[in-house]
Amino acid sequence: MAIAYEKIPFAGTVKSPQKENEGMITGNWRTRRPILDAEKCMECQLCWISCPDSCVNLMTETSPITFNLKYCKGCGLCAEMCPVGAISLVPELDFEE
Amino acid sequence: MIKKDLFAEPGLKQITVWGRGVYENKEARDVVVSLTEAAALEGKYVQAWENYVDLPDRIYVPVRAYGKISSNPIESKYVYENEAPDIVVLTEETLVKGVDILAGIKPNATLIINSKRAPEYLFKFIKSNTENLAKIVTIDANNLSTSVITLSGAEGATDASGIGKGIGAPLAAAIVKATGIVSFNNLLDIIVNKSAARKAYDQAIIANVHDLIKTYA
Repeated sequence: MAIAYEKIPFAGTVKSPQKENEGMITGNWRTRRPILDAEKCMECQLCWISCPDSCVNLMTETSPITFNLKYCKGCGLCAEMCPVGAISLVPELDFEE
Repeated sequence: MIKKDLFAEPGLKQITVWGRGVYENKEARDVVVSLTEAAALEGKYVQAWENYVDLPDRIYVPVRAYGKISSNPIESKYVYENEAPDIVVLTEETLVKGVDILAGIKPNATLIINSKRAPEYLFKFIKSNTENLAKIVTIDANNLSTSVITLSGAEGATDASGIGKGIGAPLAAAIVKATGIVSFNNLLDIIVNKSAARKAYDQAIIANVHDLIKTYA
């Protein structure tokens, strides 16, 4: 992180309203991408509360859940936690983008 | 003004191996250790070490292991990262996407990928620094052996698990087939999983990047 020393917040933390940290983009750690089956999803939000990187966005315009793929590490906890099996993990290289 | 590169080391070959933290940390290290140990048997000057900045204890994080093999004494032995690798190895195929694996490669560089996908499909994902890349080699190492998941030997500690027990062995064999950097028999003397290495030596697919560009243009 090329930030001036004076501008780094106390203890190196990210300010609370901020959702993203440009200094630690973890999207390239991912080998499997979570994909939501919107028909199965019952919006229990277990994936949202269990995501260690807070990469699950709730109630977006198009879908009950979307994933922030810039930071998603592909750990698969969301798919593991989903009680109805609505989230599946697909190999990352199956996607062109 | 001197135009000659004073720091050039003509006999030096640099090997950079990219792996995924925890799952392939040992395997990435095994590839360079087995190759450099085999080269040492041939009387070469060698070095093998891991990147000090990467975080090998974090699952799936891209980690690097480096090797240097030279016919002359290595003058750049205190340079702790390979700035211009001749051989780049990926122990996991997804690293082609989102990681600048080919940064600084020398002309006629070789890329070895542990994948069952076709070389032309994988080449599409590599966005930068492909000008100097000559060959892409694919080998399905996961099919021939299983990865040894251990942090034994990480960050300079003693490795109790043996060199070339998992997917490191077939990957090293594929490197030897594509580049001939050491003799295959010397490699077999070093590694544990010899049968996987022999199979990989037969099965590795070598694709010429020049031909791949032609087919897509």
